[in-house]
Amino acid sequence: MVEVRYESVTKRYENGFEAVKDLNLEVKDGEFLVLLGPSGCGKSTTLRMLAGLEDVSAGNIRIDGAKVNDLPPGARGLGMVFQSYALYPHMSISENLSFGLRMAKGEDRLSDEEIVKRVQETAKLMELADQLDKKPKQLSGGQRQRVALGRALIRRPKVLLMDEPLSNLDAELRHHMRAEIRRIHDTLGTTTVYVTHDQIEAMTLADRIAILNDGELQQHGAPLDVYNNPVNDFVKGFLCKHIDEIVETANTLFPKE
Amino acid sequence: MKSLSQRWYEPQEIATLRLWLPVAVGVNILLSSIEWIREDSLAFQLSLLGAFALLVLWLVLPNGEQTWKRDVAIGKAGLVLIIGVIHYAAGMRMVIDIWSTLWLVGPAILALWWLSSPVISAWAKGLLSVQGAEDGLARNKRIAPRLGAIGSHILLLHAVMLILFPVLWILDVAMSPGNILGGDIGVSDWTGEHFSKMLGGDSSFWIWMRNSLIVSIGTTLMGLALAVPAAYAFSRFRFSGREGSMFAFLLVQMFPGIIILVPYFMVMKSLGLLNTSLGLILAYSVTALPLCVWMLKGFFDTVPRELEEAALLEGCNQFEVFWRVILPLSLPAVAVTALFSFLAAWNEYLLALTFNTSNDMYTLPVGLASLISSTGQAWGDFAAASLLVSIPVVILFIIFQKFLIQGLSAGSVKG
Repeated sequence: MVEVRYESVTKRYENGFEAVKDLNLEVKDGEFLVLLGPSGCGKSTTLRMLAGLEDVSAGNIRIDGAKVNDLPPGARGLGMVFQSYALYPHMSISENLSFGLRMAKGEDRLSDEEIVKRVQETAKLMELADQLDKKPKQLSGGQRQRVALGRALIRRPKVLLMDEPLSNLDAELRHHMRAEIRRIHDTLGTTTVYVTHDQIEAMTLADRIAILNDGELQQHGAPLDVYNNPVNDFVKGFLCKHIDEIVETANTLFPKE
Repeated sequence: MKSLSQRWYEPQEIATLRLWLPVAVGVNILLSSIEWIREDSLAFQLSLLGAFALLVLWLVLPNGEQTWKRDVAIGKAGLVLIIGVIHYAAGMRMVIDIWSTLWLVGPAILALWWLSSPVISAWAKGLLSVQGAEDGLARNKRIAPRLGAIGSHILLLHAVMLILFPVLWILDVAMSPGNILGGDIGVSDWTGEHFSKMLGGDSSFWIWMRNSLIVSIGTTLMGLALAVPAAYAFSRFRFSGREGSMFAFLLVQMFPGIIILVPYFMVMKSLGLLNTSLGLILAYSVTALPLCVWMLKGFFDTVPRELEEAALLEGCNQFEVFWRVILPLSLPAVAVTALFSFLAAWNEYLLALTFNTSNDMYTLPVGLASLISSTGQAWGDFAAASLLVSIPVVILFIIFQKFLIQGLSAGSVKG
């Protein structure tokens, strides 16, 4: 059972700015949770606190019941996909994939054969088997994003974190990768926290969405529930109205007979 | 009524002459002034005359309208050719004479050849058919890049000569017998005596070389060992005193080195580091540090932070992030920095002269300068040694060339 729990988590920067205010949120085992909100709403900070890249000012973050506030990022057993891919430019694809495994110490360290096997498996899952000897520079955007995803997954993370992973891709690839991410989640069942500002992405990917604004959680629940029963004006405007407009535009462009 | 092609066609050769004849005029005027300084009055007059003839040739270049221009231009080109030949025959046939002759004969021959070709003479007389003009336009497109390339190579050749000339001069001094400075470059009676004297057992050259290598390599290693971590810290961490120390680094650069010469000497003396390699290594590292730190910090700033975060999440500690991700990525910048520190130490003269009083501890610059003393001025030995000194630097540059280009343009392309 891997579940993530934010308990009254607050992030306050040195200049007094509160990026996240008293957040209470739970991600259930195997769930795909999308953090949705406009830019500057604190969704990335929420994710980065879970990753250990930002300190928690108040409250607790628990993974699997254990408090992780002060664990170093590498000890939390997470995988993360960044918006800019963040692949290591000087390493080949297979080195990129295996880097985390090779960095493991003590009893977590796998044997070399096991590492090779894992790389093969992951490459197959990500459809990268032919690219293993190439450098990141030689790959297309979509392939790079797959490497980044594979690199996050290869260590069998307890929780997979994704920070706007699709916003650097063009529309068609984004559509394709969206389906891909969902497929991989359904295959592996990894608990996933996904940050985006794209309402459609959130609606199509999520088991549950959590909408943030100004550092405060507005509403969370299954996508359709949230859409049908918005609790306040912000959710109505940001989610419901936006989607209605897109649907309306589509209907105007392609009128039904 | 002329067709569009006929109206727009001008042979590329004519355009080329129009562009390059003024250059030839300029070069000849420049050369004539050099000849005037050399008090070579005949060459001076001939060059000036040639420049004038070229100028007239430029003025009467055919434009496809006035038919008389072509014949006059051919006549003028012939005149330039004759002046050039006389210049060569009457001159002293030194480098400058050959150079000046080439700038007279070259343009003249080109002009004669092109003006007498059938298409151009037909065009100059306005007799070119529509078909001919169309073919000509196509031909222009074909030969324009080639003529342009030849032109730029001529310019580059001059630039290369300008750079190489001092080196050739030194080589000439080094290869001439005796210890004479000056004179003209000549190929006669070349000798290797200065080189064998410098490289032989009696000279101190190898001692100086050893000292220079120890000091330069030591400076590079120590400079990098200090600058790389410092620059990384400045780039990535926020700590109190960060701004202040970075500014202090710049502040030191504002003062000329000679200001701290005496204090340096006192410090080295009280530490007992005079006449040691370590003393110089310390002094040079400190001098090179600010520049190295700033350069490396600039590079580290361009490495995306997300790379480090990704590595942190994969279980690296801060040192592993630096060692396995940041440093391999920064090799070009580190190489450039290393080269700079090495060169700074290799060329430094003032501190080395002040700190070292014994010939056994001289570095190459100090040792070389000691060849030109008040008791005897061994210019030949000096020239030979100075050529030998540049060899390691040239080798380093060749090795690091690839890195240099990458390093200097670092950050312009996203990793």
